[in-house]
Amino acid sequence: MSGEEEENAAELKIGEEFLRAKCLMNCEVALILDRKYEQLQQLSDDPTNQISQVFEKSMQYVKRFSRYKNQDAVRQVREILSRYQLAEFELCVLGNLCPETVEEAIAMVPSIKRKGRIHEDDAIEKMLNDLSLIKKFE
Amino acid sequence: MFFHITLERNMQLHPRHFGPHLREKLVAKLMKDVEGTCSGRHGFVVAITNVEDIGKGLIREGTGFVTFPVKYQCVAFRPFKGEILEAVVTMVNKMGFFAEAGPVQIFVSNHLIPDDMEFQSGDMPNYTTSDGSVKIQKDSEVRLKIIGTRVDATEIFCIGTIKDDFLGVINDPGAAS
Repeated sequence: MSGEEEENAAELKIGEEFLRAKCLMNCEVALILDRKYEQLQQLSDDPTNQISQVFEKSMQYVKRFSRYKNQDAVRQVREILSRYQLAEFELCVLGNLCPETVEEAIAMVPSIKRKGRIHEDDAIEKMLNDLSLIKKFE
Repeated sequence: MFFHITLERNMQLHPRHFGPHLREKLVAKLMKDVEGTCSGRHGFVVAITNVEDIGKGLIREGTGFVTFPVKYQCVAFRPFKGEILEAVVTMVNKMGFFAEAGPVQIFVSNHLIPDDMEFQSGDMPNYTTSDGSVKIQKDSEVRLKIIGTRVDATEIFCIGTIKDDFLGVINDPGAAS
């Protein structure tokens, strides 16, 4: 495929299909998979039988790397980040990695500084502050 | 990164399943067929969350099987080149180390580990800085950047680096004790 050569998440080149798709933060995936796991448990006595390795590994992974545990906090994170005109992909990288400084945030998501967008350092700093507040009061 | 995407698939159903529970049968078969699979384009399908639409079935001549176009939403995991994510170290050797981020395996070669980290063999092979303050071993959590992906029919494999700003160990299980 010709499009594959161009792929670069740092410049937000992830293909039209994924750019339009909804991205999920690890903590959101944890909520979804938890619910799904419960449903499977109700359906059969031995859910481990029906669960694929991919499901199991993903569940372990998102549980280990979820920054926010409770549902309200997860919703708030998305709400706050969505005020900053970020692409879905950028929003989720920030939500997953929770950078602490402006430099770190730009290193994690280089695309927030490009394309002449309105992201001044002050705006980024405010965004990071808001994020750390949620974590503090969770 | 995990995505919530809408996919389509043509499902073939045996005539013995036709009846009041046709839809349930179809959904169960879809989950069994699709969950846990991996394609180069969409990545790993982790879980189906919703079946959006089941189109009109088409009877196949000669066999009696019916093909239904099914539209469903699922959680998929697709790694991208340039993406930064966190992973758990699973194996360390002198060539580098392997880490796992959900279903995907990532290899970090020793050329892409900072130069001041040296390989130490032994019971618990690891990479350690000369002053011993930072250590990468099995079960360490690292933050890495994906610099290459190799797509197989049934697997995606990634090459990563920790030789950049803000990358490297985030949590070392041995350090706490």
